Amino acid sequence: MGGRAQVTAVASTPVATNPLAEGLHDYRVGEPCLMVIFGATGDLSGRKLLPALYNLAKQRLLPAGFAVVGAAIDDMTDDSFRKHASEKIAEFSRTQPIDQRVLDAFLSACFYVKVDFGKLDDFKGLQRRLSELDTTRHVSGNRMFYCATPPPTYETIVEQLKAAGMATGAGFHRIVVEKPFGSDLKSARELTAILQRVFHEDSVYRIDHYLGKETVQNIMAFRFANSIFEPVWNTNLIDSVQITVAEEIGVEGRGTYYDKAGALRDIVQNHALQLVALVAMEPPLAFEANSVRDEKVKVLRAIKPITDEEVARATVRGQYTKGWVQGEQVPGYRDEKNVAPGSLTETFAALRLNIDNWRWANVPFYIRAGKRMPKRITEIRIQFKRPPHMTFGPDATRELDPNAITLRIQPEEGISLRFGAKVPSAGLRIRSVTMDFQYMTAFLVETPEAYERLLLDCMIGDPTLFTRADEVEAAWRLIDPIEAAWRDDRPPLAMYAAGTWGPPAADKLVQQDRREWHRP
Amino acid sequence: MAPAVSTTIAPEPDVEWRGEGVSMNEVLGALSNIRKKFALAEVGETELPHPRNCIMTLIAVASTDAEERRAQRAVRAIGNHHPAQVIVVRDQPELRSRRIDATIMTDTLRPQLGGAMQCELITLRVRGAAGEHLSGLVDPLLMSGVPNYLWWVGTPTFGKRELDDVLKICDALFVDSARFDAPYRSFLELTTLVSQSHQSLGVGDLQWARLEPWRESVAQFFAPADRLPFLKGISEIGVDYSGEGRGNRVAAALLIGWMASALGWTLQKSAGGAGGTVVAHFAAEGWRPVQVAMRSVPRTHLAQGEIGAIRIGGAAAGRTFNLSVLRDPERARSVRPDVGAGGYRPIHPTGGEDEAGLEIAQRKVEWHRDVLLENSEQLHHTATGDLPGDNRPQPPAVFVRDRRRQDSSRVLLTLIEIGEAGTLRHVQQVEPEDEATLLLEILSHGAQDKVFVRSLTAAAELMSAI
Repeated sequence: MGGRAQVTAVASTPVATNPLAEGLHDYRVGEPCLMVIFGATGDLSGRKLLPALYNLAKQRLLPAGFAVVGAAIDDMTDDSFRKHASEKIAEFSRTQPIDQRVLDAFLSACFYVKVDFGKLDDFKGLQRRLSELDTTRHVSGNRMFYCATPPPTYETIVEQLKAAGMATGAGFHRIVVEKPFGSDLKSARELTAILQRVFHEDSVYRIDHYLGKETVQNIMAFRFANSIFEPVWNTNLIDSVQITVAEEIGVEGRGTYYDKAGALRDIVQNHALQLVALVAMEPPLAFEANSVRDEKVKVLRAIKPITDEEVARATVRGQYTKGWVQGEQVPGYRDEKNVAPGSLTETFAALRLNIDNWRWANVPFYIRAGKRMPKRITEIRIQFKRPPHMTFGPDATRELDPNAITLRIQPEEGISLRFGAKVPSAGLRIRSVTMDFQYMTAFLVETPEAYERLLLDCMIGDPTLFTRADEVEAAWRLIDPIEAAWRDDRPPLAMYAAGTWGPPAADKLVQQDRREWHRP
Repeated sequence: MAPAVSTTIAPEPDVEWRGEGVSMNEVLGALSNIRKKFALAEVGETELPHPRNCIMTLIAVASTDAEERRAQRAVRAIGNHHPAQVIVVRDQPELRSRRIDATIMTDTLRPQLGGAMQCELITLRVRGAAGEHLSGLVDPLLMSGVPNYLWWVGTPTFGKRELDDVLKICDALFVDSARFDAPYRSFLELTTLVSQSHQSLGVGDLQWARLEPWRESVAQFFAPADRLPFLKGISEIGVDYSGEGRGNRVAAALLIGWMASALGWTLQKSAGGAGGTVVAHFAAEGWRPVQVAMRSVPRTHLAQGEIGAIRIGGAAAGRTFNLSVLRDPERARSVRPDVGAGGYRPIHPTGGEDEAGLEIAQRKVEWHRDVLLENSEQLHHTATGDLPGDNRPQPPAVFVRDRRRQDSSRVLLTLIEIGEAGTLRHVQQVEPEDEATLLLEILSHGAQDKVFVRSLTAAAELMSAI
């Protein structure tokens, strides 16, 4: 970690001392605060943040006094911002139809200030508006600054906040930034240094929305709230782990960003490595920010970096060409809007990682992530070893696969266990069957959006599901050497037709270890 | 609560069964056939049969036609989103002919993702003594490995063997204390049952679920760290509940019981007053007095006993505070003529047409009206010459059945005043309060609720003292 950047102890989630909160279901309400959304008129704000806030309001999870202050370059008034917010919420809210009374109440707590990020005076104007609202809304100086803007603007915003005296004073001052957290280790460190020049690490909330998904959090519940899985969760019984993060969509208008990022930086560096960390981590002392993040960092640091010599055998990079996805013909990556015609950016990445610790010695973790694959699915498959001795002989067990646990992150969230059972007949045949748990039917509640959970956590001051600076850096340490080799065209870019599960080289990656990809 | 499963419900015409004068063995046989058909339905040659997916057995006991209709409506609404086995028992022990008429209906749930699931609705109309042996009737139908919940749609037969036996095979009992025929007596019986039942039995009250938004709003006010000291500065609480005269105080008592038990207050004394008003005195830590008033207020769109408002006031750390949470304030304004035909504005200026201002004015008017009511005996005497207490109009009757109405408003308005700062208003929506929604609310969070139990105990103490 460079400069004065340092990871400091994150304060534990404040213990609820309000005796009236005891026994209230789903009661997680933070202190009233003013949430400033930089880039409030942009895509992220309209698609995710404003609808998530509306749904929090609908669930009565926004405290009295909470207000949103939109800050962007567009000429808008409070009323026109409310109209904009109303339209976006109507279009993108997960709950439909819109409840007009909830919406009206929410919009009455929305305000707008025109801010040119380059102008200090605009920030001072913003500060004046916040001070006014502070008094009328009893928010005690609490501020949450959300950077729903491209990463290059973070530094300017943070510096202006400091210059305008907006990052200090009474109450809490938290800043939320979106991924990517840098484009390599160096830039990640620079970003951390920028943020930490003004905000304490405890007050920096790096959002990786995957961590807000219920099913991702359930990985920890599955492992550490049950006694039957953890004893087999190690190299003694696990053969390998496969993580698939597949999307059926292409770059969807994000060509400019994606062509610079690619699948490795866009998905593997954050989402996929976070999933690896959650699957492989040791039990934390408590479900508490520091404990959980400490254990995740240990895993990331224990992953053996892929060396320059190994990169051709342990990684695959691919790019989709035109093909058919879900019955529709789609163009190749190089024909997408805002993508360079001869682009060498990977839209598919596959890796084999090894974790150098006692628990995971000799258990390969295969990761594949790609766009324009047959369907959208994220799953983790824990493949177990075959029994040491096949009592029933090869004929009876021809249809028997090794045991496997599949953690389905999205869609069709759930967990399935594959095991052998005797086929009813006079003879002896053992076939694999699946025992299935589906989230949507097992619980009588609807799964909330990841952003709702994460915004609420930020208001409450619980950073457990946010990425800490050292996690980000540990992940980049693994990615940087791969990225460097890929820039040298090692291994060469493999093409795959849209609508397939990646290039043949990806199959070879696992076949060389005498394994197969699980077909999700 | 929003539905958990996006579904299209396609009734299966061939999975419905009716039998009159049947035995439970015949019911079980029919059920088994239905399950077999479902398991094999739509299975291709290479596919495996549908796995049955059931998350609970919900037994609803109804003793009248109206209760049976309500039970059917609620359990089907639940079943439309959650694969379950539902048993509705229409208990008719008063009928001499001993027979069981049964129907089995199924709803097939087809999630957008995943395989089809089935909800089974078994209705048993039981005449004669068999209904007094509920556990024997439903036990054979229960499925292993899923929880069994008993919803007694009306007033449970507290103290009777029928109830005690069936509770032994159930994980939880759900009631609605707002619907008890004799609210006071049944509420105390419920408290006794909770205190005497085995520890693993959960007890849920739909009335308690209705109070959740109120509890949330009150708890939210005290959530910020700088307001926590206010908890030790509460000096007065007022709770309005819908009704006239004494009415049904169960919800108000539960709400007070909740606060008293959470904050460690001990009941000192209580006294009933005119117009259904009750004042109770509690002692908080350090013998600090807390005065609580419960009063009935006619609210035409709310069911009897339903909470209409809670006001909490006090001072701490050199600051005064007032929290008011009001139910459906827009509705309240629509009945404004009741409190003076709009003539109150000159007396209680609202500070403009702001809704919060109107609310404050409304509260002031209500306070004035209360003063008038408190002195009504003397006023009556002054106006008529009658002796105090003579010839006063009879208190209106309290209807105990079919009291809940379709409510299209469902808004809580919170008004916060701290120190000299202006009033902050906050509007929140309350979920629909139909029985299916409330049951789902309890089911989704589990029926083991120690806060409910301790609030129930404290409420029973208060009710007994009144």
